[in-house]
Amino acid sequence: MSAADVLPSRSATASRQGEGRRLVSTRLLASELRLIGGRRRNQAGLVVLAAVPIMMAIAVKVSTPGPGDGPDFLSSITSNGLFVPFAALSVEIAMFLPLAMSMLAGDSVAGEANIGTLRYLLTVPVDRARLLAVKYASLCLGALWGVAAVVIPGAVAGIALFGTGDMTTLSGSQLGFGAAVWRLVLASLYLSAGLAAFAAIGLFISTLTEQPIGAAIAIMVVNILAWILDAVPQLGWLHPWLFMHDWLAFPDLLRDPIQWSNLLHGLGIDLAYAVVFWLAAWARFAGKDITS
Amino acid sequence: MPRHDGGMRIFDEHPRARWAAPVAAAAVVGAATFTSSHLASADPSLPHRSAAQLLVDVQKAGLTPLSGTIVQTANLGLPELPGIGAAGGDSGHGTTSLTSMLSGTHTWRVWYASPQQARLALVGGTGETDVIRNGKDLWVWSSSDKSAAHHVLSQADQKMADQHAPGPSSTLPRTPQEAAQQALAAMGPTTDVTTSGTASVAGRSAYELVLKPRDNRTLVASVRIAIDAARHVPLRVQVFSTKIANPAFEVGFTHVDFGKPAARQFAFNPPPGTKVTTSDTGPGAAAPKVDAQSKGPEQVAPKAVGTGWTTVVVAHLPSAAEPGTSSPGGADQQLGQLQAVLKALPKVSGAWGSGRLLTGTLFSAVLTDDGRVAVGAVAPSQLYAALAAR
Repeated sequence: MSAADVLPSRSATASRQGEGRRLVSTRLLASELRLIGGRRRNQAGLVVLAAVPIMMAIAVKVSTPGPGDGPDFLSSITSNGLFVPFAALSVEIAMFLPLAMSMLAGDSVAGEANIGTLRYLLTVPVDRARLLAVKYASLCLGALWGVAAVVIPGAVAGIALFGTGDMTTLSGSQLGFGAAVWRLVLASLYLSAGLAAFAAIGLFISTLTEQPIGAAIAIMVVNILAWILDAVPQLGWLHPWLFMHDWLAFPDLLRDPIQWSNLLHGLGIDLAYAVVFWLAAWARFAGKDITS
Repeated sequence: MPRHDGGMRIFDEHPRARWAAPVAAAAVVGAATFTSSHLASADPSLPHRSAAQLLVDVQKAGLTPLSGTIVQTANLGLPELPGIGAAGGDSGHGTTSLTSMLSGTHTWRVWYASPQQARLALVGGTGETDVIRNGKDLWVWSSSDKSAAHHVLSQADQKMADQHAPGPSSTLPRTPQEAAQQALAAMGPTTDVTTSGTASVAGRSAYELVLKPRDNRTLVASVRIAIDAARHVPLRVQVFSTKIANPAFEVGFTHVDFGKPAARQFAFNPPPGTKVTTSDTGPGAAAPKVDAQSKGPEQVAPKAVGTGWTTVVVAHLPSAAEPGTSSPGGADQQLGQLQAVLKALPKVSGAWGSGRLLTGTLFSAVLTDDGRVAVGAVAPSQLYAALAAR
């Protein structure tokens, strides 16, 4: 998609609502989401995200893994199809989902700077802070989108292949189908919040450069670095402060009753990262000379 | 340049001032965390209570209905001991959880309604091990291998189990209640018992009881027990070593609720697809011990040297575990692993003989080449003296 396709419609929508003083303008957001959703590479990324749970479901159907084989939840899939999205989330949360966020966040500012559309975007009478807010809101929705691309195909494939029996919690109790779906929705929202916090770091890095590929790689490096630090036991004091540390607490939603402590801590950390790094992005972007 | 309203003009004149915003946000987060943890540990003001009064309070209170989360941390300074957990064979949960408790941090969830209704869950990662007592039923559920062990307690077992907290008894305290009782039993003329003001544990005000060994040769610097001011339930036990500043062993509530847990917390029906093993006898803690004793009928009973905090226990190892001897059987591989660990320990020798030395933060142990073992909460030199005295 070329810059010329995008520009006229966006500057038109932006100028039409110039008098509105909402922080996030819905029309600018809608055009941003159209831009993200229309990119071929993003569509391909969604296909990859969705392929993993489907492949897992088929692999389990073909050969039943014993307890302890493969990633978490895999051996539980045969008893309830809803374990497919849980297993897929536990596999994709370390690498694929953050990679997808890195691509989106890298594109969001550095991408526009790179193809020269950023300066045109800034000629419309929209405050830079509001533009950045729209950019970040679109990344948050992108996080939700990415998680949904894992969960919904996974749930559909799992239910089609394994049915909807009662779900056995980690505590050994049984959940009905409705309650199990509710836990899955909570897990999806929790991980989306975590990815949205990660996207704030990405947005900041994206304002530092005009190279979207470089920004995406740098964002991914931050993610991998955090996972490495989290694996070093000598840095135990640091672990609760790493943005991804509490992502792995989402299985706590499958206990009976739900164990909230780590999840709430995780949400607090998410909020702190989102606020600090969005403000850092603003500090950089609002005072930046746009030369390209 | 984009349009700005008046408040933003300062940033046009001083562009770098914008960086104050993220820095301030980070500072607020840091300050909020610091104050909340600082406030949590700030001493609440409570009327003074003597150590003796507190002990009476605790004994009177007994076990009250509660639910909560317990975090237990051990810095015993031990090397990794692979395979030792499986050495107990299928005698079950007791061995594995005991071994896992020797190092690192572990989280437990507890529900306690009455001696007949209690549930203890070890949570971590995507696994959970539950011990559930409901009337005459005792269930042990393990999510990792989807297995459940069902014990139907006989009358005698029930009576015995009612004396103690649920779950397998072990040398390491598992709940604050159990830990406090063990510490109180160990006290005597050897210990200074004082109160050191108050503390805040799991958001509740608590008195702190401090036990200090009078004998300064022990590795135990002090034991601090936090006792809930209103409910008189021990909320936290910390054991400090003379070697490190942080507690060498700590078990305490991070969250506690004194409401009676709902009955459904204690109902357990094995989910479909579960391997259920049933036994009519309770998993009496004594059973595996008797078993271990009968292995070596020729062995001499363990001997205690010294008194109080500096007691050193000298014992003979069961012959199968003696270094150098190999026994045929399934446990051989685990023994081999254990021996590999032993070989990695530093070699020591003296007038008492020679062997391998294990030094932890709270205790030391010597395994001699002739199959004796000496353990105590003391420095190695006292272990040598105890071995030589024999």
